[in-house]
Amino acid sequence: MDAEALVHDYLGRLEAAAGSLPPSRRAELTGEVRQHIEMALAEAGGRDEVTVRNVLDRLGPPDEIVDAERGAEGPPPAWAAAQPAAPALPSGWGGTEIAAILLLTLGAVFLPIIGPLLGLIFVWASVRWTKRQKAVATGIVVILAILPIILLLGVRAGGVVTSGQL
Amino acid sequence: MDVPLFVLLIPLAGILAAVYLVVAMLRRRS
Repeated sequence: MDAEALVHDYLGRLEAAAGSLPPSRRAELTGEVRQHIEMALAEAGGRDEVTVRNVLDRLGPPDEIVDAERGAEGPPPAWAAAQPAAPALPSGWGGTEIAAILLLTLGAVFLPIIGPLLGLIFVWASVRWTKRQKAVATGIVVILAILPIILLLGVRAGGVVTSGQL
Repeated sequence: MDVPLFVLLIPLAGILAAVYLVVAMLRRRS
């Protein structure tokens, strides 16, 4: 498959994934991503198949882009109009993201249980992570922190029953 | 014995989740 066909195929998959978005938003998103690909290719200084594949890999699967777009439906478009220099796609660190990371790391050390829980609330409040990424982060915290506590309580309860029987 | 495990796992879980989110954000930005 040549480079142009790869881009065409990617944009086709993006359009298909964006089927649930309103047509105007879908067209806008496709246009933005196409522009982003063109800029990345211009920066890379080549349009060979490897470069195009790298650029598309860095963009991520079309589903994830659509998920992020769907998650970002809340903020009004006036936000972008008020800051013309801001990038079109929401990226970078905002207060919510920094608070989430600080609560998950330092918060977990200094405020056990409350810190990570607050961190997860901030993670879910952010529009810059996809739903899947939020779910994976929540899964990590739940499996590593909460499950062992439940297992420990279970073992302790089992131990009490055993000693009671003796 | 239970308390150190409990105390260690919560920060570890938070740090792992934070690392995952930071990597996800950096991958999206690049």
